[in-house]
Amino acid sequence: MLLALLLLPTGDPAQLPAQEVAVERRLAGELGLRVGDSIRIGPSPDSLRMAGIVAAVYEPRPDPSGIMRRDKQIRMHLPDLATLLGHPDRVDRFGVSLRAGIAPESAAARLNRAAFGYRARPSAEIAAESSQTFLVVSRFHRAIGVITIVAGAVFLLCIMLLKVEERRLDAAVMRFVGVRRRTIFAALLLEAALIAVAGSAFGVVLAWIAGAATNAYYQRLFDTRLVFSLVTPGIVGFSVALSLLLGLGAGALAAWRLVRTPPMVLWGRA
Amino acid sequence: MRIGWGIRNLARQPLRTALSLLGIAVASAMLLDMVMLSGGLERSFERLLLGRGYQIRLTPKGTLPFDTEATLSRASAVIAEVRADTGVAAAGGVLGGSLYARRGDSLITFFGYGIDPSAQALYQVTRGRDLAPGDTLGIVLSEAAARALGSGPGDSVSVAGGLDPQLATAGTERRLQVRGLVRWLYDYRGQRSVGLVLPLMQRLTRAGADRASVVMVRARNDAEVAALAARLAERHPRLEVSSVADLVQQVRDRLVYFRQLSYILGSVSLIVTVLLVATLLAITVNERLGEIATLRAIGVSRLTVVGQVVAEGTALTALGAGLGVALGLVTARYLDTILTSFPGLPAAISFFVPDGRALAIATAVLLAAGALAGLYPAWLAARAPIADTLRAEAT
Repeated sequence: MLLALLLLPTGDPAQLPAQEVAVERRLAGELGLRVGDSIRIGPSPDSLRMAGIVAAVYEPRPDPSGIMRRDKQIRMHLPDLATLLGHPDRVDRFGVSLRAGIAPESAAARLNRAAFGYRARPSAEIAAESSQTFLVVSRFHRAIGVITIVAGAVFLLCIMLLKVEERRLDAAVMRFVGVRRRTIFAALLLEAALIAVAGSAFGVVLAWIAGAATNAYYQRLFDTRLVFSLVTPGIVGFSVALSLLLGLGAGALAAWRLVRTPPMVLWGRA
Repeated sequence: MRIGWGIRNLARQPLRTALSLLGIAVASAMLLDMVMLSGGLERSFERLLLGRGYQIRLTPKGTLPFDTEATLSRASAVIAEVRADTGVAAAGGVLGGSLYARRGDSLITFFGYGIDPSAQALYQVTRGRDLAPGDTLGIVLSEAAARALGSGPGDSVSVAGGLDPQLATAGTERRLQVRGLVRWLYDYRGQRSVGLVLPLMQRLTRAGADRASVVMVRARNDAEVAALAARLAERHPRLEVSSVADLVQQVRDRLVYFRQLSYILGSVSLIVTVLLVATLLAITVNERLGEIATLRAIGVSRLTVVGQVVAEGTALTALGAGLGVALGLVTARYLDTILTSFPGLPAAISFFVPDGRALAIATAVLLAAGALAGLYPAWLAARAPIADTLRAEAT
C-alpha cells in the first residue's frame, strides 16, 4: 500500500498504539532520527494519530525515478498502514509470482477474465509505462548527440581540409621530382588517418575523465550510488569508428582536391 | 580598403569558408539552444503559474502544490481568513479528484476540479459560458472530455464520484448541464478534465465536507507578494504557503540537470567556435605571410594587419552565427517537441523559451570569442619579419 504520510518527531499522545517503522537513511538524517526514537505518523498534519518507533534506518535501492522527486520514505507493516488510513484489509496492488513456463501476458489475461474489481498487468508493461520519462530523456540525449556529431564532423572536415592544404608546397615539390599522384594521395590519407587515430584516443581519454567527473558530481549532488555516465566499449568503438571514418573521408576529399591541382598552381606560380 | 581585404579574403577559398561557416553555424545553433534551455522551463513555468494572476498557493504542510491525496480541512474558514487580509485581492479553494461519467454502457474516468468560479486560476472559457458561483447544476469540460462524452454546451451529462473499484458502482451520481468548454491551464495534452463548483465536488468525491486540495491567492500588489506570503505562513503554520517565486525555485532545484547540461554544452559550443576560427585564421595567415610582408614593406602598420585578421575572424563568426540562429530555432523546436512529451507535463509548458537579455549576452560573447580567436593569428601576422619573409617568398 502506497500513500503520502506525514511524520513528526513529537511527544503528544497518540490515538493508536505504537508500531515499528523503518526510516530511509536520508530522511533519518534530515530529521535527526535514530533507531529507538519515537515519532508520530498520520495521513495529514491534523491527523497524526499513530505513534511509531524507529526500528531500523535503511538504505533504499538506487532508483532513477526517485532522484528528481527526492521522495522521503518510511516503511511499515501493511496492517499498520491500513489501520492508520482507516482502510483495513485494502491494498493498492499486489504482486503475483508465476510458475515457470507461464507467460505473464496470458496469466494477466486469464486473471482479468476471471475476476472483477481489479486489473492484472504484466510487470514488463508497468515497467515500460513507468520508464516513459527516461525514454524521453534518452531521445533528447540522442538528438543532442546527433547535433554534436554533425558539429564534430564539420569541424573535422574543416581541420582535415586545412591540414592537407598546408601541404601544398610539399605536394608541388613531390610532383616536380616525379612522385606519382597516387603516392601523394596515399601519404596524405595516411597522415589524415594518424591524426584521426590520435584525436580519437585523446577523445576517449577526455570522455572517460568527463564521465568520471559527471558521476562524482551527480552522485554527490543526489546522494546516490546511481551511475550517470557510462563509457562502454560499444560507445568507444562507435565513436572511434565514426571519427576514423569521418577523418579518412575528410582527408581523402582534401587530398583528392590537392592531387588534382597542377603542381605549378600548388607552387603558386600559375 | 583597410578593413576590406581581411573580409574579402574569405571569398578566396570558398570551400574552406563555407565549411567553416557551417561549423560555426552548428556550434552557434547549439549555443542558442542551450541559452534557451538554461532558463526556459522556469520562464515558461512562471508564465503558466501567473497566467491568471494568482501568485500564492496554500496546501497541506509537507505536500506538493497540488496533491489530490492530501487535503486541508476547514477550507472555507481558511479562505475567509485569507480574504480578510488587506493585501489579498481574491482567494479561492480547489479540490481535485477522480470523477466518472457514463456514455452508453461504459464508464469514463475524468479528472475533476472543484472550484470557486468567482476566484479561479485554473482555466479559460473557450466556448459557451462559465459556471456561476453556487451553480450546483452546471459543469465545464475540457475539449478532450467533451470529445470523450460526445457532449457540448447545453447538453446534459451524468457524473459520478466515489467509485467502489470492487463493485464498480458509483457512490453519488448527478445529472449536470454542460455550461461551456474550457482550456485547463495545468492539464497535459489530451487530459480529460471537468470542473464543478467546490461544494458539489466535495459531495461527489466524498472528500469530506469543507476540504480542499489547494487555496489559490491573488495579491493586490505584485511587489507585496513575498510579504503577504510571509504573513499567511505565520497565520497558518499547518499549511504550506508557496509563492510563484518559491515554486519556480523548486522547479529550478529539481531540474538542475537541464541547466547544467545547457551550461556544459553551451561552453563546448563556444570552445568549438573559437578553435575553428583560430585554426582557420592561423592557416590562412600562414599562407598569406608573403602578402602581409609586402603590405608591411609598403608602409601598412602592424595595427592595420592585426585589425584585418581580427575583422576576418569577427566577420566569419558573425556570418556563422547568423546562420546558426536560423538553424538553432529549428533544432530548438525539434528538441522542445521531444522534452514536452514528458508524461504528465502541462501542455502549456515549454523547455526552450527565448529570453532577449540572455540571447543578447550570448551573441556578444560569441562575437567576442570570434574576435579573440583571431588575436593569436593576428599576432603571428604582425610579428612576421618582413625581409626574411619576402626573401623566402622569392626563392
